[in-house]
Amino acid sequence: MYTFKAAPISPPRPWFLRWPGLALAVVVALAYRGAEGNFSALFSSSARETLFEFLRGFWPPAHSREFLSLMLRPLVETVAIAFLGISLAVALALPLSILATDAKALSPLADRRGAARRFAYAAARLALNLMRSIPELIWAMIFVRLIGLGPAAGVLAIGIGYAGVLGKVFAEIFESLPRSPAEGLASTGASPLKVFAFGVLPAAMPLLGSYTLYRFDCAIRASAILGLVGAGGLGLQLELSLKMFAYDEVATQVIALFLLVAAADQASRWIRRGLQQSKGLLRSSLPVRAGSAAVWIACCAAAGAFLRFPISELFSLDAAKNIGSFAASMFPPDLSLPFLRSLWPAVLETLSISILGTAIAVVLGFAFAYAAAARIHLEDGTAGRAGFRVERLLVHGISLLARAIQNLSRTLPELLWALMFIFVVGLGPFAGALALGLHTAGVLGRLYSEALEEVPSGPMLALRASGASRSAAATFAVVPQAFPQLVAYTLYRWEVNIRASAILGVVGAGGLGKALLISLSLFQNHRTLTLIAVVVAIVASVDLFSGWLRRRVLEGTPSRQEARAGEWAGPPAASATAF
Amino acid sequence: MKHRRLIAFALLIAAPYAAFGQETLRVSAIPDEAPTELQRKFVPLGAYLEKAVGKKIEFTPVSDYAATVEGLAAKKLDLVWYGGFTFVQARRRTGTANPLVQREEDAQFHSKFIVSTNSKAKTLADLKGANFAFGSVSSTSGHLMPRYFLLKNGIDPEKDFAKVAFSGAHDVTAKWVESGKVDAGALNESVLQKLLDEKKLDPAKVRVIWTTPPYFDYNWTVRGDLDPKLAEQIKRAFLALDYSKPEHKVILDLQRTHKFIPTSAENYKSIDEAAISAGLIKD
Repeated sequence: MYTFKAAPISPPRPWFLRWPGLALAVVVALAYRGAEGNFSALFSSSARETLFEFLRGFWPPAHSREFLSLMLRPLVETVAIAFLGISLAVALALPLSILATDAKALSPLADRRGAARRFAYAAARLALNLMRSIPELIWAMIFVRLIGLGPAAGVLAIGIGYAGVLGKVFAEIFESLPRSPAEGLASTGASPLKVFAFGVLPAAMPLLGSYTLYRFDCAIRASAILGLVGAGGLGLQLELSLKMFAYDEVATQVIALFLLVAAADQASRWIRRGLQQSKGLLRSSLPVRAGSAAVWIACCAAAGAFLRFPISELFSLDAAKNIGSFAASMFPPDLSLPFLRSLWPAVLETLSISILGTAIAVVLGFAFAYAAAARIHLEDGTAGRAGFRVERLLVHGISLLARAIQNLSRTLPELLWALMFIFVVGLGPFAGALALGLHTAGVLGRLYSEALEEVPSGPMLALRASGASRSAAATFAVVPQAFPQLVAYTLYRWEVNIRASAILGVVGAGGLGKALLISLSLFQNHRTLTLIAVVVAIVASVDLFSGWLRRRVLEGTPSRQEARAGEWAGPPAASATAF
Repeated sequence: MKHRRLIAFALLIAAPYAAFGQETLRVSAIPDEAPTELQRKFVPLGAYLEKAVGKKIEFTPVSDYAATVEGLAAKKLDLVWYGGFTFVQARRRTGTANPLVQREEDAQFHSKFIVSTNSKAKTLADLKGANFAFGSVSSTSGHLMPRYFLLKNGIDPEKDFAKVAFSGAHDVTAKWVESGKVDAGALNESVLQKLLDEKKLDPAKVRVIWTTPPYFDYNWTVRGDLDPKLAEQIKRAFLALDYSKPEHKVILDLQRTHKFIPTSAENYKSIDEAAISAGLIKD
């Protein structure tokens, strides 16, 4: 989590974030227009009717033995795809991340870096960025085209997409560690490989492991929806049930997904806590370490066998020819003016969905967080507990409820919310924006509440001591302190949301996704390449802009940043990149 | 020579896969209805074909039209139930995809445009400004031919409709129109009739406002490099289905026809032209 340094005065904010945030309001209003926002449709009577239809249909959830046994395989498939996918991602990410690390971090005493090394660095960074910028669903659609329907496409999609994410974070971790152990080893004359293996890797391992585990339950959620495009798992049955209005089946699957993600989340949290408390990843003896590695490989093999992963087919000459001819058929990309002109509205729609969705998420998420951050309402500076018992119970109760709603919103992937919102407000980008908003509200709510609770309590206690009410103290003493961090989390989620916005169109919720679905169905491979390039361009621009804005908000103007250079800010896994 | 062991190991793994292809006939169909429906329709037909052809039949339902085309092109499928447009796509991909038979109604197929009974639309022109649902992007009767005939009647779906959605399957299009999720939709006449017959669609809630002119649609196609004798056997098996025999009647009823007739690639030239004209195929 974000560790606050001793910086009581927050850096000056960029002009468009200052009160009243005029530019921000203008942007959000434009996004509302662009995403065909229509809050009256959301609160109309037909929307309410649909909502009641949903709620009535959800209970009781489908529990016939036939249906439950039908669902078992997709559920296990979902976990197997996620597990195998993340393992593949780690295998791909490690070598790439080593290449993508600044050479100084790995061989501190080298005077210059050779041209080959610099080229490898640039190429690795580019590759990782490309892999990250293409959403997993699009990877899945491409792999389904390349190797056919089935979970193998899902595994590859998660493997490559997450390799990009993991690789970048791994490289940042390697670069951010203290350099002295590596320097010490290098000065004894050890080769660069030994310097890395014994000077950098041991310190990095707990962080690498922790982040990978964190990403595992994201992978489960991702693999649940890959079935929508035929890449195995729960998604296919879910879409079918929704389309045929079988709400009781939908309810069962949602509950199953919820339990699955909760279990994975809990398991990963236990392991991560164990990692944090131990001094390193598996500092035990060689047999134990070898045993753990063997268990991991055995699990991968089991998952592969369960999914009937066609290893021999994938590495066959036919597959290589297929991939080659598909890649060749995509060049040159379709850059005809009429086509590009037809894409422009979809690009604007995608941007609008991401902005409106994030804006909705901020408002909802903040409401959740304010309710969920029980500590800021109850802390009093006294040794005993603050407030009457009833008050305490009420605060904790509301906090629990808020957390539960947050969890539900977070667990269901955005595409699933989109499928449901389409029924409520109709097809189009507004359904997508609402879905994005609700899902992200769950994520941001949790992050916001953690940020609020970790704020130093001095100012709040001071206000309380001077007679302010508890809620006034919570609002005016806590929120301003946490504000830079809240903005940073929001901006980071915007980067995630733009990727989601690009694919919502696949189910009819606006944006570029629909064009991609059409071009892939009609085998118009030149257009597919153009569309992928456009998605990458949008995602990269948003990433850059958001990164710049985050740095400005967290660290102030460049002059202030210089003054802070040289301080080790702690491992980056503690910062906004941790999710 | 450490590679020798690796090669031997790889061959050992690959061997069963190689042997597999010969023994089973791998069949699939475009997913124009729910997968459970596709399975249900195919079960007796599959049993009949197994006896007639003397090979094991393996039916793989897929969730994606284009996957059936890819499957035939990648030699992962042997016999596929295609629509007119998917056949054209398969023919263009492989050059040799060979349509064997079709149902007698498939030579004169129609799409129907439906609206909700609350709607005031009476003709195609009244649909301007509506939210419209096609079936799947690759569907002949659900997308290609409706789009082609709309364009011929002066309506451009991209410009004249408020929203264009792809439901993915004919039964879903019908349900969307019935429940008012979209204002109008185009779907396959045979599936529409089936839904009405089986009371899965309420005739009080939808009505047909237009029927397209006839065109060639569904067919059973084999991949071009399949053993010609095997292809002949399959063709004869279909043509031998006789409605007057009760065990054949079961099969034919599920396929919603009274008999199968031979077909050939020439019949689909007009579909190919329609696809180019509607902008779904670029030459």
